Amino acid sequence: MITERHEELAALHALGLLEGAERSAFESELAGNAELRALVDSLAESSAALALAAPPVQPPAGLKQRILAAVPAEAPGARIVGFPLARLAPWALAAALAVAATWLATQNLALRHENAALASERQLAEVAYRMTQNQLSERSLLAENMINDLGGKLRRSEDLSRLKITALASLAGNTKEAQVIAVWDPGQQTGLLTMEKLPAIADTQDYQIWIVDPAYKDPVNGGVFHVAADGKVTLAFKPDQPVAQAAAFAISLEKKGGVPKAEGPIVLLGK
Amino acid sequence: MLLASPCPLTWIEVAPTRCGTGPFVRMSTVADNPPTADERNREQAALLAAMARGDKAALARLYDLLAKPLYSLAFRVLNDAGEAQDVVQDVFLQIWHKAATYDTGRGSVFAWAATLTRNRAIDRVRMRTRRAELLAESAPDLQPAAVGGEADSAASLWVREKAGAVRTALAQLAPEQQKAIELAFFSGLTQQEIAARLNEPLGTVKARIRRGLLKLREILPARL
Repeated sequence: MITERHEELAALHALGLLEGAERSAFESELAGNAELRALVDSLAESSAALALAAPPVQPPAGLKQRILAAVPAEAPGARIVGFPLARLAPWALAAALAVAATWLATQNLALRHENAALASERQLAEVAYRMTQNQLSERSLLAENMINDLGGKLRRSEDLSRLKITALASLAGNTKEAQVIAVWDPGQQTGLLTMEKLPAIADTQDYQIWIVDPAYKDPVNGGVFHVAADGKVTLAFKPDQPVAQAAAFAISLEKKGGVPKAEGPIVLLGK
Repeated sequence: MLLASPCPLTWIEVAPTRCGTGPFVRMSTVADNPPTADERNREQAALLAAMARGDKAALARLYDLLAKPLYSLAFRVLNDAGEAQDVVQDVFLQIWHKAATYDTGRGSVFAWAATLTRNRAIDRVRMRTRRAELLAESAPDLQPAAVGGEADSAASLWVREKAGAVRTALAQLAPEQQKAIELAFFSGLTQQEIAARLNEPLGTVKARIRRGLLKLREILPARL
């Protein structure tokens, strides 16, 4: 059922006036409400029509050629970046860490009270961690440090309760199958993302991580990443600003290299 | 040039071949009735599909259809010809790269392109260091449409026709609703800044925007 409040938020969203946590909360609701999605789409269409109310101005003659000259010769979405075979092995083994993180997501609450039950599972996590650490030697120093830190956390069960574990839900039609878990360590200001069935993207694009912190007007940039053809990614991330409260995590689709403020569609979101 | 050449078709099944020599499906000509909004959007969606296959001529054709309203929008927001050109270039390149991701179920091609243009232009406004001064310049009242001086192409006729419909629809809103929506769309002001500019409570401004945009949706066709 669409309420007056829904209409107000939809109108503000269509005009780009929702920001920060309010926008994240509304987009989360949108993901599961087809009627609201339809309202937002129709209001966005009406809002976009306002562009035609601008006084007409003829673009300069050379602009068309400037744009055509800037377009690369190859088809924009033709090539999907594949990882060299040598790098597939570390990724495959990194999936073991994804299993551990998934397990943590479901067992975290019980672990806080049942340290005894942790021992066997912790061993599994440690084995996965050691395997991953061995195979990820080619990864960046930053990523390695993050994984080392998280590995340390796995060895200290008392620290597990500090970790925030979030499953991200799909907001885009082509990411419905994606399974994404974010593990966030507020003390270390680092996080780990494990993803499966994430759609491959063109080499002109990157996925970009965002952390929603109510202390900031806009979500905090967590860096960019690409995805292998098998849709599996495990990576560490670190925001470019201190995060006091990680209220939500989001992943958007952006141009190569990322953007300072999200421009592309939010494809995954979780609180 | 492929599709950008003076092809007599007003909407076509785009294929990576030269106009008049390939497997185009001829649907109508300039001499026929003008295309409906659905037909025009199908043409533009077909151009995006061709762009996703690397057809630069399709990009050229889409530029012919959309460049003027998009440039006018960017210029209206930025009030700077150089920045407006940069924005339009960025938007067409973004459309080129994301052509394969366009979802016909989520809105018209024009709405997508206009939203990209507005967002990029407003980002630039917000980045300007002399923010307050420039924001004041960026939200003048709408000026009457300039007349004459443009080719009578099918694209410009479409833009003029639809621009007239949008202005007529805006004129049917209560003046306070029209002002709030214009500030929201063209200025890049936040909700709070709009309320301050209008010297009204935030709740009043939100209600005006809600009622005004719902009214516009009633008046305007579902897709331009």
